[in-house]
Amino acid sequence: MISPKSVEIFCGTGGVGKTTLATSRALYLSDQGKKVLLITIDPAKRLKQILKLDEADAGDITPIDHKLFDRESCQIDALLMNPKKTLMRMASLNEEGWALNNPIIDILTRPYGGMNEIMAIIEVQHHLQSHSYDCIVLDTPPGKHFIDFLQSSQKIKQFFDKSFVDIFKFVGKKFTVKGEKEKSGFLSLIVEAGIKKLLKYLQKVTGEDFVEEFIDAISGLYRNRESFISALDFQEDLKKEALSNWFLVTSVEQRKVHEAMQLQKEAKGFMHNDSFLVINRSLTPFLEAWEPDPSPGGLSQLRNSMKERESAIKEISGLGYKSKLFFPEILGSEPLDHVKELAECWSKF
Amino acid sequence: MKVATTNSSSPPSILSNQRNRIIVVTGKGGVGKTTLSMAIAKALESNGREVFYNSFDQPLNTELANLIELPSFSLSIEQSAKEYIAKKLGSETIAGWILKTPFFSSLFNMLPGLGHMILLGHLIDKLESNPNLTIVLDSPSSGHALTMFESPGNFKEMFRTGLIVDDIQRMEKFLYEPGAMEVIVCSLPTKMAIQEAIDLETKLKERQVPQTKLVVNDLLSFSKPILEANEKDLPEFIIKKIAGEKEAQESSKQTPYLNIPHFPESKPSQIISACAQFLKGAAK
Repeated sequence: MISPKSVEIFCGTGGVGKTTLATSRALYLSDQGKKVLLITIDPAKRLKQILKLDEADAGDITPIDHKLFDRESCQIDALLMNPKKTLMRMASLNEEGWALNNPIIDILTRPYGGMNEIMAIIEVQHHLQSHSYDCIVLDTPPGKHFIDFLQSSQKIKQFFDKSFVDIFKFVGKKFTVKGEKEKSGFLSLIVEAGIKKLLKYLQKVTGEDFVEEFIDAISGLYRNRESFISALDFQEDLKKEALSNWFLVTSVEQRKVHEAMQLQKEAKGFMHNDSFLVINRSLTPFLEAWEPDPSPGGLSQLRNSMKERESAIKEISGLGYKSKLFFPEILGSEPLDHVKELAECWSKF
Repeated sequence: MKVATTNSSSPPSILSNQRNRIIVVTGKGGVGKTTLSMAIAKALESNGREVFYNSFDQPLNTELANLIELPSFSLSIEQSAKEYIAKKLGSETIAGWILKTPFFSSLFNMLPGLGHMILLGHLIDKLESNPNLTIVLDSPSSGHALTMFESPGNFKEMFRTGLIVDDIQRMEKFLYEPGAMEVIVCSLPTKMAIQEAIDLETKLKERQVPQTKLVVNDLLSFSKPILEANEKDLPEFIIKKIAGEKEAQESSKQTPYLNIPHFPESKPSQIISACAQFLKGAAK
């Protein structure tokens, strides 16, 4: 049995069935009596379609009706990421939250403003800290956007790098930073001269109001940096075997072997012993049993090409994984039926 | 008994519209965006058009383009940003220096939309400097494609005036001029993928993207070996898959602009050339 963990993370290239599998895992865990939070970080939000949620629910925790899965009870809450709601919640908890009320931050935290991955890591960390759930199942964005998500806390750290403080010192938005010493006169002079130049260039290519609002935006983020920096803890938790299960999802339908291997390579630093390779939509049992007329062309060509496409997935080495989990192709067309059938499969592992 | 009939009406203008300068291929992950983009580029090329394939910051696809001898160029966000700033300020040294500051490098990391916009701007520069060129853009999948289309407007709203806003306006004028850009939303014949494609088309229209076309890819029911076979020779799982395809298509009220069959080839390069042949045939 795969023991349930605080965080269950599903990653993989696009279209391999991450959302459906993550939902099936949530249903299986709920059937085992766990209280589950299912979060989707992918801005495409297919979870909305499977669970019949409303776009307006994005950013709010929504309990899932047990009738949807033909169950007597169900302990699944779902959350579609909404960067703005995350920011607003964060602001309401912080003394200096007001400083995030800025037109630039406002534009960037729109659903497609590009801040989705960064805000997601803060959202997940918040729910982990609240300890309201036994398991958090994470459906992540495809391919390299998943790597962006993993590296978010690194980016946040870099963003709040000390050298950054100097920009405020120069523009006169002074505020003290606890535990930080003034830089020596000579060094700060060089930094100050650099930033002066930088802003002069910036003003040349953008409007003047922008520079002012931009500095306010940066200062707002900086004043709330503790909330951002706490997300670094989440990254550490992901690396702990006791706290997380990793599922790298691949699909036999896909010709993305190289992309999957690339993802595997980049995520390696995070993964530990409890990492599983999921091979989804396997047609092998059907193809093995099919013996079309062997004459060239026609159906035998179709079967051979389908078989060859399936075998490409075998190039992915199972090394470094606790086990390979095979999930069959589900032939119905209704996404919710897929979830229910796949949930049965989890009990076999 | 035949399983399906081919759709002989509505020849697609993916290839015939001579004015399209940039063809953007997007859709859910794994629907075959790369195969379709390369097939479109190959088909246009064999019709005598000057074509470049670009995969928007995904270097792996550029290797495949080289393999099938498709002219392509890869741009990195860093290089594009440096070239852009250098042009604005008239100095490569200063541009390099600006991008090396921790401030700017971390800003680019935090704001992927900014990088996307600069890449898009770079493509438009290429198109403006060569009026005979067509670019096929193998774009990021749905959600991230919306970020790409939304970013120019967002940054315009932020900057309000200045050189960058002038450039954004020039970009938008180029892209949104009728016939300049075509957005192909690619899908698979499953309910999830078709719904995502329709959601994406709606959101693109909300963002004033003028021309979008829904293409359903990899249909078994249009595949040559299946069309030529008798239903009694088909195994049950294929019949079920075809029934699923039909159910998925009927569930959406939208008729796709083009249905592309499943090609019974195995290597990516073979599938691309079979698809290019199909597109050329369909355009006649």
